[in-house]
Amino acid sequence: MDNIFKFAAGIFTTLGFAWLAFVVGAKMQYGALSPEAEMLEDDGSRPVDAELYPKALSGLAQQGGEDYQALGCMTCHTQQVRLVEAGFDVERGWGKRPSVPRDYVMQKNVLLGNTRVGPDLANLGMREYSDEWLHRHLFEPQALVPDSLCPPSPFLYVVSEEEKDGSIEIPATDEEVSRFVRPSFRARGIVSYLQSLQQDYELPEMSFIEVENEVEELVVDKPADGNASSAGVPDWLARQISSGKEIYMKAAPGGGLCFSCHQPTGLGLPGQFPPLAGSDWVLGDKERLIKISINGLMGEIEVNGVKYNNVMAPPGIPPGSLTDSQIADVLTYIRNEWGNSASAVSASEVAVVRAATKDRAAMQMWTAAELSSSSQPAP
Amino acid sequence: MKESPEQVIDRSAKLVVSFFVASAGLWLLAAALLAYIVAAKLTDPFFLSGIEYLTYGKVKIAQANAFVYGWGGNSIFAATLWIIARLSQAEVRGRIFLLFAGTLWNLGITAGLLGILDGKMNAHELLEMPTEVWPVLFIGYSIIAFLALVIHRSREHSSTIAPQWFILSSLLWFPALFLIAWNGLELNPARGTLQTVLSMWFGQSLIWLWLTPMALGAAYYVIPAIMGIVIDKYYLAIFGFWCIAALAPWSVLNHLVGGPVPMWIPAVGTVMSIAMIFPIAVASTNFHATAFKDVGKVWNSLPLRFVIFGTLSYTLSSYIGVIFSLPAVAKLTQFSIINEFHFNQRVYGFFSMIIFGVVYHMLPKITGREIGTGSKTFHFWTSAAGVMMLLLAYLIGGLTHGVLAQQPSLDWASSVISSVQPYFLITKIAFVILGFSQLVFVINVWKVIFPNPLAYILDGSPERKEKSA
Ligand code: HEC
Ligand code: HEC
Repeated sequence: MDNIFKFAAGIFTTLGFAWLAFVVGAKMQYGALSPEAEMLEDDGSRPVDAELYPKALSGLAQQGGEDYQALGCMTCHTQQVRLVEAGFDVERGWGKRPSVPRDYVMQKNVLLGNTRVGPDLANLGMREYSDEWLHRHLFEPQALVPDSLCPPSPFLYVVSEEEKDGSIEIPATDEEVSRFVRPSFRARGIVSYLQSLQQDYELPEMSFIEVENEVEELVVDKPADGNASSAGVPDWLARQISSGKEIYMKAAPGGGLCFSCHQPTGLGLPGQFPPLAGSDWVLGDKERLIKISINGLMGEIEVNGVKYNNVMAPPGIPPGSLTDSQIADVLTYIRNEWGNSASAVSASEVAVVRAATKDRAAMQMWTAAELSSSSQPAP
Repeated sequence: MKESPEQVIDRSAKLVVSFFVASAGLWLLAAALLAYIVAAKLTDPFFLSGIEYLTYGKVKIAQANAFVYGWGGNSIFAATLWIIARLSQAEVRGRIFLLFAGTLWNLGITAGLLGILDGKMNAHELLEMPTEVWPVLFIGYSIIAFLALVIHRSREHSSTIAPQWFILSSLLWFPALFLIAWNGLELNPARGTLQTVLSMWFGQSLIWLWLTPMALGAAYYVIPAIMGIVIDKYYLAIFGFWCIAALAPWSVLNHLVGGPVPMWIPAVGTVMSIAMIFPIAVASTNFHATAFKDVGKVWNSLPLRFVIFGTLSYTLSSYIGVIFSLPAVAKLTQFSIINEFHFNQRVYGFFSMIIFGVVYHMLPKITGREIGTGSKTFHFWTSAAGVMMLLLAYLIGGLTHGVLAQQPSLDWASSVISSVQPYFLITKIAFVILGFSQLVFVINVWKVIFPNPLAYILDGSPERKEKSA
C-alpha cells in the first residue's frame, strides 16, 4: 500500500480482471461473427447459394449513418429490440424479433443507444414509411406528429414557396402556409439510412416471434359474430376498438355521430344510409376509407350491390373535426364489428393520407368516380 | 516573518491550483449554459432548431463532455495537486510544466467540443470528442499525473492514508481505462456490439473509477481536517477501498440487459452492482459516523456542509443505483430518463458538491483571502435546491417514462412522452437555478483568485507584488 509501484500493480490487477472478461473474453466469444444464412441445414452446414444476412449498407445509406451520428440522433433513439423477457419491444411492434449481436456486424458505428425519448429505430425500414414521409418528418416532425419532441432539421433542406422539381410539400398548419422543400444530399443519405434499418430476416440463433402476426390472424380469423373485446385480442387493439366504439356512438363534440345514420347495428337505413357491415368500402382499400372519413362522400355509390345517392358531410362534431387518432380508432372499430374483420388503422396512416390530400378544401366531399380514378382531378 | 511549512506548500501550489480552479469554473458555466439549451429543447423542439451547430444531440453530448472533462478534469487536477502536496508535506514542483499541461488539456477540450458541435463526434460514451484531440489530452494528463506522483514520491512519511489511496488510484485509473478504450475502439476497432460493450464499460467506469475515488479521497481528507478529529472506524477504509477497486469495474454493464450482447455481460453487472453495497456502506459509515460526532460544526462550516451533502448524496444515490439494477426494476426503467438521474446524481449531487467544499476549504488557505459567507451560503442553498429538484424530476419522470413505455398499447408520442413532458419543464427550471448558483460560485472563486483584475493586468502578477511588498 505504501509503495507506489506495488500499489499501482494492485489497482491495475483489479482493473485487469474486468478487462480480461469484458474486452478480451467477449472478443474471443463473439468477435468473429459474420453474416449467415437465414436457416442452416440439419447438419449445421450453410445451404448452397443461400443469401447471407445482415447485408452491407449502400454507400448513400452509410453516408447517412455518419450524418445521423453527427447530428446526435442516437441520444434519443435506441437501435435494439430487447429480448422478450426483458421488455415489450416486440409487442410494441418495434421488430419481428429481438436483435442479436450478428445484426450489427456489418455496421461501422454501432448505435445501440441507451435512452428512448423517441421510439426504437432498429426496424424503422419495416414500418413502410415512404421516403417522402421521412423527409417531411426529418424537416419538421411537428408537421406530421403534433407535439412531437423529435427535433426539426430545416438546415438539411432548401425551402421555397412554390413547387419545384423534386421538391416535397410540407402541408400548411395553423401558423404556416404550405412550403416546398428540396432535400440536400445529406438529407437523402439520412432517409436512405433510416430505410435501411431493418432486421427483417431470421437467423439460425433467432427466429421471428409470433406476437405481431397473431394480431393479424386474430383479426382475420375471428368468428362471424366476433366481439371486439373477446379474449385473445391484444390490449392495444382492444383499446383502439373500444375507443372507436365510443366515438361511433358519441353525439357530443369530439364524437363522430356515425350511429345516427349508419345505425348501431351497422346496417344503415335502406335507401338513405348505406350499411357498414360487410361493406367493401369499409373492408377494402384503407386509403379510400380514410379519405372519406376526412372529407366526406357524396353522389352515387354502390354498397353490397345496392345503389345509394346521398351526402355524408365530413364526419365529426363539428364536421371534419375528428383527429387522426380518432379517425384511426373509429375505422378500426367499424372494420372489426358486426362480423367485419380487417387490420387496424393507425393514426400515422391517417396522417399520411391527410398530408397527401391537404389541398382539398375542408368541405369538398369525395365522389365515387373521383376515388376510383384518383389520378383524375375532381369534376 | 517565517512561514510555516503549510504556508510554503500552499504558496508553491498557488499559481497552479488557481489556474485549474479558475478554468474549472469557466467550464462549469459553459456546461450550465449547454444544459439549459438541452432542457429548453426538450420543452420546445423549435428552440434554436434552425442552427445546425446546436442540434439537441450535439449540445447534449457537448454538455456531458464539458462537465466531465472541463469542470471535472480541471477541478480534479486542482484538488489532487493540493491535497497530495499537503499530505506529502512537499512543495508542488514543475509548475511551468503543470501550467503547460493544463493549457494543453483545456485547449484540447475546447477543440473537442467545437468538433462535436461541428459534426465530428464519435459515438462512444464519453469518448465523443473527435479522435484528433485525444492524444493532446492524454499528453496533458500524463504530465500532470506524473508531476503529482513526483510530489507523492518526495513525501516526508512513507506510510500512506486513505485520501492518498483514493486520489492516486483515480489519477492512475483514468489513463489505464483510456488506453484500453483507445486500443479497442480506435487502434484495433472491435466489430459489432463489442464496440458498445467496450464504450459503455469505459464511460461508466470513468464515473466510477475517476470521479468517484477523487471525490471520496477529498472527503476523507477534508472531513477530519476541518473537524479536527480522526475518521471514525478508520480501519474499515482499506476494505472499502479494495472493494471499490475489485467490484466497480464489473458493476457497470447492467444497462445492457436484454440487448444484443451475450447474456453473461449484463448478468455479471447486475450481481456486482448489488455487491457494491459493501464499499458504499463502508464509506458512508466512515463519513457520517465522523460527521455526527459534531453536527453543529458541520452545519457551521460551509465547506464541510458541501462535503457532507455530497457524501450523503453518494450513499443515497449508490443505494438507489443498487435498487435500479435489480432485474425486475431494471426492466421497467431501462432506456428511460432515469439514466439522467444516475448521471446527474453522481456528477452533480455527489462529485461536484464535494469539489465545491474542497475549493472553499482550499482557496482561502492558498490565496490568504476569505470568501464572503453570504455568497457561499447562497451558493449552497441554490445548489442544494436545484440538485434536489433536478433529481426528483428525473426520478419521478423516469419512473413514469419507464412504466408507460412498458404498455405496448399506449401511443408513443401522444401518451408516453407527453406524460413525461411536465418533468422536462421542471428540469429546465432546475437548470436555471443551478446556472445562477454556479455563476455565484465562479464569481466567488474568481474574486479571490483575481482580487483586482485591473491592477493584475497593469502591474503584472500579484505574485510579484507580494514579493516586493
Ligand atoms: C429529443 C429527442 C429526439 C432526438 C434528438 C431525435 N428524435 Fe426522432 N423522435 C423523437 C420522438 C419523441 C419521436 C416520436 C414522435 C414522432 O414520431 O415524431 C421521434 C420519432 C422519430 C421517427 C419516427 C419513428 C416512427 O416509428 O414513427 C423518426 C424516423 C425519427 N424520429 C428520426 C430521427 C432522426 C433522423 C433524428 C436525428 C436527426 C432524430 N429522430 C432525433 C425524439 C427525438
Ligand atoms: C349525417 C349522416 C351520417 C353520419 C353522421 C355518418 N355517415 Fe357515413 N355515410 C352517410 C351517407 C349518406 C353515406 C353515403 C354517401 C353517398 O351516397 O355518397 C355514407 C357513407 C359512408 C361510408 C361508405 C359507404 C359504406 O357504407 O361503406 C362509410 C365507410 C361511412 N359512411 C362511415 C362513416 C363513419 C365512420 C361515420 C362516423 C365517423 C359516419 N359514416 C357518419 C351518412 C352519414
